Amino acid sequence: MLKVSVISPEALLFEGEATSVVAPAFDGSLGILTGHAPMVTLLGNGELRLEGASSGGKRFTVDGGFLQVEDNNVRVVTEKATAL
Amino acid sequence: MAKGRELKGRIKSVENTRKITRTMEMVATSKMKRAQDRVHAARPYALVLREVISSVYSSDVADRFPLLRQPETVKRAAILLVTSNRGLAGGFNANLIKEARGLITRLEGAGTETELHVVGRKGLGYFKYIGREVKTSRTDITDKPTSADAASLSDVVMDDFAAGRLDAVYVVYAKFNSAMSTPPVSEQVLPVQPPSREGAEQGMQRDYLLYPSAEAILGELLPLYVRNTVYRALAESNAGEQGARRTAMKNATENASEMINGLRRTFNRARQAQITQEIAEIVGGAAGLQG
Repeated sequence: MLKVSVISPEALLFEGEATSVVAPAFDGSLGILTGHAPMVTLLGNGELRLEGASSGGKRFTVDGGFLQVEDNNVRVVTEKATAL
Repeated sequence: MAKGRELKGRIKSVENTRKITRTMEMVATSKMKRAQDRVHAARPYALVLREVISSVYSSDVADRFPLLRQPETVKRAAILLVTSNRGLAGGFNANLIKEARGLITRLEGAGTETELHVVGRKGLGYFKYIGREVKTSRTDITDKPTSADAASLSDVVMDDFAAGRLDAVYVVYAKFNSAMSTPPVSEQVLPVQPPSREGAEQGMQRDYLLYPSAEAILGELLPLYVRNTVYRALAESNAGEQGARRTAMKNATENASEMINGLRRTFNRARQAQITQEIAEIVGGAAGLQG
């Protein structure tokens, strides 16, 4: 399982587990499964999907920001994120 | 019983004042709780941002970023002062203004031209009154500052700094330590202080894959970091304002209660004295008739 948090300047929008994350990276969709190498990447705009999240599937729209992966922790940090 | 009626009127009026201050205290308490939650909710973002910046930062990429430019001499500086729109918060705004004036004196003493950006009606009113030029002012930021507010405030100074029209930017705000302690502080936002070496040692020794590149990430993150600093200043000042107002209104309520007690005592004493006098007069009159 991946530990995922979605963070905006105003609040922590999501914190929980997911089996995989599909994020809109700056150059196209990016999928992350467990055991991913440590990575920091910029995000473009589009839909962020957390598959198999603790409370069903979760979807957000994000615009800009970045994503950090480290030891199965995924942190999505963006100024503009809204839950769908 | 002219004096008695007068006292009664005063008691009534102080009671009404106490009603108002007590309500304001309660309103400020609940607003402060919400503002406090916002301050706490903003913490994870700032934390991650700082961590990632220190992990992609290295001194050889730093030279290429205007926001990391460290000018040797500071010729022009900007101060962003965050005050409240409303008063009745004790010394809250006065303390912030004093801190800002101290900073201005310090900067101008060192020969730096200083421009002022003010948030909040109270700060604006003061600088208008003393006749100092205020470059920009905002009075539309409410009890719930958003990151969009912070962005619109910081983007102007960031552009000026990047273009070399400013050499330093400070923000003066009320730090929210607790409800009781909200000291005014001035913090330097620009140039962004590069992460200290020790911090980097801990956070950085991790080989991240960086997409598209360290420079691109840093270029994207630095403005976010500056905006976040300003957002934090707005959020903390707002929580501080509510805290200060609560304390001020609590004191006012207590003072009103004390005053009411004093006035009641005087009133009762006057009433007692009048009764005694009336009895004495009746007794005196009866004695006169008998005699």
